[in-house]
Amino acid sequence: MNTRDPGGPPPIEVRGVRKVFRQTTTGQSVVAIDRLDLTIAPREVVAIVGQTGCGKSTFFDLMIGLEAPSEGTLRIGDKSPHADFDYFRGKIATVFQQDRLLPWRSALDNAKLPLELIGLPEEEQRERALTWLNRLGLGSFINAYPHELSGGMRQRVAIARAFSVQPDIMLADEAFGHLDEVTAQELRDTFLALARESGSTAILITHQLEEAIGVGDRIIVFGKSAKLLADIHVAHWDKSQYGVLREAIQATLQANSPDPRLT
Amino acid sequence: MSHKELGEPVASLGFPRHTLVSLLIFAATWEVLSNLAPFLGIPPFAIPSLVRIAKAIGTITPIDVVVTLARVIAALIVSFIAGLALAMAMYRSDPLEKYLSPIIRLFMAVPVVSWILFAVLWFPGVEFRIGFVLVVVCGPVFMIDTLDAMRSVPRELRHMMRSFRPTTLQFFTKLMMPAIVPTIFTSWKVNISLAIRVVTIAELVGAVTGIGAQLSNAQQLFSVADVFAWTIVLVALLFLLEAIVSRVEHRLLRWRA
Ligand SMILES: Nc1ncnc2c1ncn2[C@@H]1O[C@H](COP(=O)(O)OP(=O)(O)OP(=O)(O)O)[C@@H](O)[C@H]1O
Ligand SMILES: [Mg+2]
Repeated sequence: MNTRDPGGPPPIEVRGVRKVFRQTTTGQSVVAIDRLDLTIAPREVVAIVGQTGCGKSTFFDLMIGLEAPSEGTLRIGDKSPHADFDYFRGKIATVFQQDRLLPWRSALDNAKLPLELIGLPEEEQRERALTWLNRLGLGSFINAYPHELSGGMRQRVAIARAFSVQPDIMLADEAFGHLDEVTAQELRDTFLALARESGSTAILITHQLEEAIGVGDRIIVFGKSAKLLADIHVAHWDKSQYGVLREAIQATLQANSPDPRLT
Repeated sequence: MSHKELGEPVASLGFPRHTLVSLLIFAATWEVLSNLAPFLGIPPFAIPSLVRIAKAIGTITPIDVVVTLARVIAALIVSFIAGLALAMAMYRSDPLEKYLSPIIRLFMAVPVVSWILFAVLWFPGVEFRIGFVLVVVCGPVFMIDTLDAMRSVPRELRHMMRSFRPTTLQFFTKLMMPAIVPTIFTSWKVNISLAIRVVTIAELVGAVTGIGAQLSNAQQLFSVADVFAWTIVLVALLFLLEAIVSRVEHRLLRWRA
């Protein structure tokens, strides 16, 4: 089913990226991202943490290609997600904080949406969307409208929608933050299992450190203007040290400078 | 889903009881006034009895109803298509929006009667005049309503949609159009009642067929019962059209809670 080339998804390379917004009302410039350098390897699972307003969602918009960097380059493989916008159709998918389902579409039709956009045959759209809805445990709700589903179920539909295109790169922007802890945990585990299984590179933005540490390979800590405060390979830490790791990240975020324990 | 309140009695004909009762009281009052007219110093023909009005309704010529209806529907379709197309263009292009919206606002401030007089001055054909007046009155309403609705499609949904990289056409057909369907229905209801009222005035000038023309005839012949009969037909037509739109709306918007 997976038609991806055997080398896996392309790496993400961020070189000296700056993103400056000019606020329309005040005319003031806001430096959302200030000279970011970062490489994310194929199939890596990365958590990004950082205080509110530090440029995490902006970084996602650059990766999705909805915004262009003001300076520097962001390349996925040898292409730019902004300049080669159409090339990445079906290759990058995002799960957002709110489910962002289309209220006039059933669960099935919502999960099908990205497949319609890439123009798959009708029959295949349906089949693929059904497969993913089933895997997310929504088999008996395929005809339900969003307003007939609980928040957790709606987020499952959103996850099915993102996976249905079998993207190279899967992004999640605080996708589990608004759910209760049990549901969030469950969904996060499902999400990660599916991402690993389908061989996507997965990047998750989160506010919860537990979530970040539970997630996987790497934790990236952003300071103000997406300054890279720490780049932690979780495998280097013993499970018994997770408490310390958590505290160190917390201290890093508070001081807006790297905690010595992390270096 | 209908939210009939508990215990609210529903009478026949699909009318709620209150509607029926209030209509009956109105009719009874009318009849009493009609009988009392001579004693009140009102000429008897000014308030014709219900029987006379009913007789007049019996002589209604269906062709005039059909002609008026056809004019209204044709003009509404043209107004809708033009309004929607303009709204889409204005949504896509800021400069276009900035230059066009003052003109549209100007158009909307012009009284209907002035448009009718302009139409008489500018165009020789009766049908074209009527169509012009209807479109120039209803088109801007469709345009403003749909443009507003497009603007209020949530930023989050537009962002989600763009993140999946639609073509411009897909962006409109899969997000913007379905999102503004509820507004489109409201706009149609508003414009139907607007068009029904405007078409009669437009038909007063120069038209030989249509409800407006017949109203003008009736008035010239002092046949008051006919004036009332045509008015009743007009109101009934309006209600019928609105009911049809509501039906379709109910069907299409089942996704709403
Ligand atoms: N389109 C925009 N126009 C102007 N300023 C913007 C725009 N998008 C983001 N910003 C600014 O850039 C900064 C970073 O915003 P961003 O949404 O990336 O933060 P974030 O880390 O995702 O925050 P949160 O955790 O609250 O979601 C903020 O100061 C914000 O006001
Ligand atoms: Mg954010």
